[in-house]
Amino acid sequence: MNKLIPSLGLHKRFILTILLIAVFVWSLTSIQWNSELYHAGGIPTMLQIFEGLIQPNLDSELLLVGLESAWITLAYAVAGMSLAIVYAFIVGVLASGTLTSSKFSRIISKVFFRGILGFTRSIHELIWAWLFVAAVGLSPYAAILALAIPYGGILGRIFADMLNDVPGQPILALKSAGSSRLQTLIYGYLPLIWSDFISYTMYRFECAIRSSAIMSFVGLGGLGFQIQLALADLKYDSVWTFIFFLIALVIFVDGWSNFVRKGLTEHKRRKGMNSGWLSVLFALLLIAASWFYITLSEKANLGELLSEKNLEYASKFFGGLLGINQENPAFLNGESWALALKLTMETLEMSVMAIGFATIVAFITVIPAARNIANGSLTLQKNWYNRILYGVIRLFYIFSRSVPELVWAMMIIFIFKPGILPGALALALHNFGILGKLWAEVVEDMDPRPIRNLATAGASKIEILFYGILPIVLPRFLTYILYRWEVIMRTTIVVGFVGAGGLGMEFKLAMSYFDYTQITLLLLCYMILVIIADFASETTRKAVK
Amino acid sequence: MKKWLSGIILFMLVLSMAACGQTEDKATEEKEGNKETKTEEVFRIGAIPDQNAAFLQTGMEAVAKQLSEETGMKVEFVPSVDYAALVTGFQRGEIHLAWFGGLTSVQARNLVPDAESIVQRPRDAEFKSVFITQEGSGIQTLADLKGKSFTFGSESSTSGHLMPRFFLSEEGIDANTDFNGKPNFSGSHDTTYKLIESGSFQAGALNISVWEAAVKEGKVDTNKVKVFYTTPDYYDYNWTINSNVEEVFGSDAKQKVKESLLSMPGDTTEIADLFQTDKFIETKNENYEKIEKVAKELEIIK
Repeated sequence: MNKLIPSLGLHKRFILTILLIAVFVWSLTSIQWNSELYHAGGIPTMLQIFEGLIQPNLDSELLLVGLESAWITLAYAVAGMSLAIVYAFIVGVLASGTLTSSKFSRIISKVFFRGILGFTRSIHELIWAWLFVAAVGLSPYAAILALAIPYGGILGRIFADMLNDVPGQPILALKSAGSSRLQTLIYGYLPLIWSDFISYTMYRFECAIRSSAIMSFVGLGGLGFQIQLALADLKYDSVWTFIFFLIALVIFVDGWSNFVRKGLTEHKRRKGMNSGWLSVLFALLLIAASWFYITLSEKANLGELLSEKNLEYASKFFGGLLGINQENPAFLNGESWALALKLTMETLEMSVMAIGFATIVAFITVIPAARNIANGSLTLQKNWYNRILYGVIRLFYIFSRSVPELVWAMMIIFIFKPGILPGALALALHNFGILGKLWAEVVEDMDPRPIRNLATAGASKIEILFYGILPIVLPRFLTYILYRWEVIMRTTIVVGFVGAGGLGMEFKLAMSYFDYTQITLLLLCYMILVIIADFASETTRKAVK
Repeated sequence: MKKWLSGIILFMLVLSMAACGQTEDKATEEKEGNKETKTEEVFRIGAIPDQNAAFLQTGMEAVAKQLSEETGMKVEFVPSVDYAALVTGFQRGEIHLAWFGGLTSVQARNLVPDAESIVQRPRDAEFKSVFITQEGSGIQTLADLKGKSFTFGSESSTSGHLMPRFFLSEEGIDANTDFNGKPNFSGSHDTTYKLIESGSFQAGALNISVWEAAVKEGKVDTNKVKVFYTTPDYYDYNWTINSNVEEVFGSDAKQKVKESLLSMPGDTTEIADLFQTDKFIETKNENYEKIEKVAKELEIIK
């Protein structure tokens, strides 16, 4: 990384690590650690919940409901992602500035379009969903757009970053051969990044499945809807049945994404395009089927979305948000601001705590979870238990990330005193699986030669870990930590819904009381948080580079 | 470079025009379709999700069937997981008739001024909430709740939040400041007693009929949880009809719906089971003035 000044680079990283740990410790001090945090009375309820895990409800009628809901969840995720890709592609290209030539116009387009991408991804899909439902009603498009907009924002940003990071030589070669800007884009930039872009999109698709399930919590059908109903009725066995459906969906997407990634790397070696075309065909089929289903059986109509009635409601709604005809809008009220900022602080602490816990657990488990360590190809050591450990941990990862934060929070609240700790734990439980998976892939993709060298030189496992693996993967680990932290920050709103504290709870109350100006105030607070997160992660990323 | 900029702008214009054209096409198609189906407009009914969902579904579908038979309209039940979502649907005129709680009916009528509460059960005129606590917590009266942790049900619930909060304030307890930490909103009446049973909270308040049903069916361990206070009577649940019904379904639609509701449950056991009543009676908006006043006092309605 730092060929010129390695010592300074290490120094920087060291300071940064200390700093990050300090921030984590600071977040822990916001909780009064005593025995009151936890109460044993909830254990019987927890046991009931676990009983449902071991003996899920396998009633055939319920399984049919599960199957149908799983399809709805998948269809919405696919429809949302297909729109997101279109949006990400157009705005991403514009935001990268590859189509503009003069420096001035490039900066303008970069700032403007990056701003759009930043805004659209700073608001959680659940809030988008709710805004759309309030503005255009319970139309399937509310859910699709709510998925497409933030996901398009994230994809577009990654896309723009990738375009900007393309090595200069091939582009220069094309340019000097006299190709136009569009031609350089199509023949130069796109072939260089499309495999990365596809594998990132597949990963995001997996996230979209979970988001699509969460969408149901604003009243749109699907697995989340069924989970919420079953939870409210205290039918834990049915809850787990639906969660297993969700897990199955996530495993399916995970498997597909592995297949695609494999196909992409293999394709580089030999010209066989079979697996790639198969995936493309399958994706197109899935997209067509999803849209077909949504427009036909859910009776979605794009024209209805822009009807006069909807425009009237939408303008009324946005007028309400802006506090038109309101005597004392909350966002002009000092007291409301003071309260909201206190909650903003709580939310910040919750997110830091959550990523801290998730990091610790992922750090402990990531090494055995990497395939190249499990099969001994990296360390040149083969142990029978490594494979078992690999399987078990990977299973935990899938389980952890398949269960939505909201469901984790609803269970945890039975044994922990409400406040930011159960919220942070729920977020951590959900995120350690994601972090672990991303990290394990980093370890799998790393250059094995230095490690093999160490291993043949007789280094012990611990030594290999600290002197071989960690220095190589740490910067990317850190990138993922910061990136998940941004995501967690937005997701705090979800766990707030079930009384886990922070801004989310207040948001839910404001929604239920139709207190629109308060919602505006809370949205502003979220913006502040996202700006803080963006700034912090950008600076740290630069520092480790 | 200019070429490119103009190219992009042209591209976007074409795209947006294509999009507009498409939607217009669809809109006109839809309008033409509507002319034929005007009489086929579906009468949609909803209910706040404060009960077992499957149970609610069967009961409400029975209501839809009976309404359809007696009024000749096409009636459909739209399930909802969220109180506020149902109120929003009602505001938008997509839900024509809803089984609301006291507070949600007042919220809905606030948003749709000409909507009307028309029918209720006899027991809704004298509804009650219970305050529960763990056995041995030492809480005997409402005043003892100061400094204890407390959970309401859903924030939109009348019997799980609004009226308990009101009776607390009558005792001089401000729910926002006088508990140990902020009060929690469990989301449902069933979750409330579960949270007290597990000890997550020291006390809570919920709907009396949900509590009685839970005790009867053994869903709650009465060795662990006890009732320490039952509130005075207040008005709660009712059928609220939207202001657009006569316009969409004809001037006699409202009266027909009302008569049909009043004839329920009849012999339909699904309806009798869901509403736990053998008859429905008329009600009027004025019955809910107290709820509205309380909600305004507590700043739940602005």
